[in-house]
Amino acid sequence: MNNPNISWTKVGLPRRAFLQGATALGGMAAAGMMFPRAAHATEGTLRTRTYADIRSMDPAFSQGVVDEEIQGAIYNKLIQYTPGRDWGWQLDAAAMIEQVDDTHINFALRDDIGFTNGFGAMTAEDVKFSFERIIDDALESTNRPDWGPLSHVEVTGERTGTIVLNNAFQPLWSITLPYIAGNIVSKNAFESVGGRIETEVVASSGPYMHAGWEPGQRTTLRRNPDWRGTPAAYEEIQIFHIDDERSAEIAFEAGELDFTRVSLDSVGRLRSNPIDGATLEEFPSLYYVWVGMNLDNPALQSLELRQAIQYAIDVPSIMEGAYYGVAQPSTGIIAPGLSGHREASLTGVSANMERAMELMAASGERNVSLTIDVLNKSTNVTTAQIIQANLAAIGISLDIRLHEAAAFWELGSDESMQLVLNRYSMTPDPYYATSWFITEQAGIWNWERFRSEEFDALHLAAQSEGDAEARAEMYRRAQDLMEESGAYKFLTHEATPVIYRNSVAPALRPDGLPIYRYFGTA
Amino acid sequence: MLSYILRRIGLALVITVLAVTTLFVIIHAIPGDPVSTMLGPRASEDMRAALEQRMGLDRPLPVQIALFFGNMLRGDLGTDVFSNRAVTEIVLGQIPYTLVLILASIAWSAVLGIALGCYSAVRRNSLGDRLTGILSVSVIAVPAFVVSLYSLLIFAVRLQWFPAIGAGDTGDILDQLHHLVLPSLAIGLSWVGYIARLVRASMLEVLGEGHIRTARAFGLPERRVILGYALRLAILPTVTVIGVGMGFLLSAAVFIEIVFSRPGLGSLVIDSIMQRNYPVVMGSVLFSTLIFVASTTLADIVNAILDPRIRSGK
Repeated sequence: MNNPNISWTKVGLPRRAFLQGATALGGMAAAGMMFPRAAHATEGTLRTRTYADIRSMDPAFSQGVVDEEIQGAIYNKLIQYTPGRDWGWQLDAAAMIEQVDDTHINFALRDDIGFTNGFGAMTAEDVKFSFERIIDDALESTNRPDWGPLSHVEVTGERTGTIVLNNAFQPLWSITLPYIAGNIVSKNAFESVGGRIETEVVASSGPYMHAGWEPGQRTTLRRNPDWRGTPAAYEEIQIFHIDDERSAEIAFEAGELDFTRVSLDSVGRLRSNPIDGATLEEFPSLYYVWVGMNLDNPALQSLELRQAIQYAIDVPSIMEGAYYGVAQPSTGIIAPGLSGHREASLTGVSANMERAMELMAASGERNVSLTIDVLNKSTNVTTAQIIQANLAAIGISLDIRLHEAAAFWELGSDESMQLVLNRYSMTPDPYYATSWFITEQAGIWNWERFRSEEFDALHLAAQSEGDAEARAEMYRRAQDLMEESGAYKFLTHEATPVIYRNSVAPALRPDGLPIYRYFGTA
Repeated sequence: MLSYILRRIGLALVITVLAVTTLFVIIHAIPGDPVSTMLGPRASEDMRAALEQRMGLDRPLPVQIALFFGNMLRGDLGTDVFSNRAVTEIVLGQIPYTLVLILASIAWSAVLGIALGCYSAVRRNSLGDRLTGILSVSVIAVPAFVVSLYSLLIFAVRLQWFPAIGAGDTGDILDQLHHLVLPSLAIGLSWVGYIARLVRASMLEVLGEGHIRTARAFGLPERRVILGYALRLAILPTVTVIGVGMGFLLSAAVFIEIVFSRPGLGSLVIDSIMQRNYPVVMGSVLFSTLIFVASTTLADIVNAILDPRIRSGK
């Protein structure tokens, strides 16, 4: 990845209409209780939505995008993802960073970054503390895998140091340094509170500060007056916890949000009936959705039967019926734009009923009756029903079993599971995708019990392969092996449609997730 | 009276213990591993085992129940494994939102419902009575989620009179009231009709009784007869219904808090059940049960105060 030079033009936020007046509560009833109108769209405030409440403000224990969206604004990293349509990174706290060999990365920090609450300037000691604590056994960080083979960080000066790895680790540049595990915290601040934090931020260093958290309601970020970099565009960012996408859409239409993800089934309506003063944009997601088949299940021992299922599933119908034509069919577990993406799958995206029938005949199976386990979301149910109809056409009876979330995510250890409609999250490095399908993960996150020595070897070797094309080819081959096993039918990477007011200049990752520190005004 | 109150409180405690125990068993019986949910996919076996031990999940269920009650008596409901915050702190932080929502819904629906019920009874078989009857039955038939969605679309999106999400700025009472209007409308609307019908029926029964005729024969003003004598008795069933109705209102609050993205006990229960966050689930359930039991007990005591026959067991 290169280091593009990004700049932002800051213009004053045009004063948005402060909604005046009063409203009558009991217009329908007798009383005339008056309220002042809501102060929607206060100047200098960005109001956005997140689907869950925060869990931890400690980078060692954050579990995903909800925490990272906030941490990315209040902490600094050596490098950050570049907003835009292509994956890349740009310098953040680092004035310089270079990989001198497979296992050594030199860095130099900017000299104008300090921590809030009087915890002083950011130094290489802070970087060492932040990274090494995540691999410390005593801390039991859930994000330790992100640091892969980190050995230690060598401090060579007040603001210079070297990240030392035990062996080469390519995901370092795509999912370690620019994501959760790359956040730099204040050593002094953390040590002053015992070495770890929960939801209270003890010191931050980014363009925004953590100003407040109202559990179940919102998190407030405020401009950091001591930030010396490109000034934050907003005086305040309010991130509302709204679980339901429909509620978020209503809030947006009511003028109470400036940016939110919208549901896939609303895209058609918003395209044909746009909201005044708002822009709808669609981004490809990194998630991957597939139908898995348990290779250990006695009912699925026939390769021909599994392949018949692969050929019988009509992915375009699923895209239309369940994803409202917004998402695109996938070819594997690695999305377009990432290293290792395959241009085409082996079994194609459209159903090939003739081939499926041939394989059914070759399998010798008759009166086949199978089950498919599905998470109880409407998209999944519709997808399963389409698959049910597809398989009925080749003589397979499919029983759909719905599960609520926590019960569904326990199915990996259920040996009686047959087919499963599954969906995993993803980070922008193929290593993250293949890590769940190695033999060691069989029965844990490898629900298909897919076991391939070649796949395991590819997964291991690709982590440290420095040649980009060779690495991509390894991941392409790994996906071929998955598909050849007959255990997988890849469906889609879904999509991330977002809507924002035209007064906002959003800064989004290529998968549509916000990077608030780079949000601007239009 | 004191012995009656003590008996009711004793019964309330027994009900609380039974309800919480039952819910404890049910919650632990549903499939889903809280440790996986809490630690995420990349936790090591050692981390999983450590968390199981920390949560007491490695112990038999009866031991877990006994420990829960033992800790509860010491005021310790455990800690949220995600945030490490005390469960008591988390739940107590959310309860005011739900209580305010429920009380506001009850308050406005009771005032309006009682007024309409009285009016209908006094003007029996008039056009106003018939219209009130039709309206009452109509609003009873409309589910809270329909009211909430339509009120959002009309008053928040279309007219932009009221906010669609949240509970308002902390410390800004006016803003919080403003955020309370649509949720309490959604919860309380069907109660208006229900209470109106109930009060009307009770009033008609009471207005036919001998002491009302006597009061009128003594020449007491009609307003005093209605409000001072008839309504005092006619309102008894309403007080009981409102007390028992706290359970239904709590259920309605769960949905309304999600639709309006309000913090509160309902949202907390749903989130924590989905995450199998057992300590928070049990803390939420305990306080929900306490609210329900306390409200029914309070309704019984108020009834006993208003009607001496109840406390004397007649």
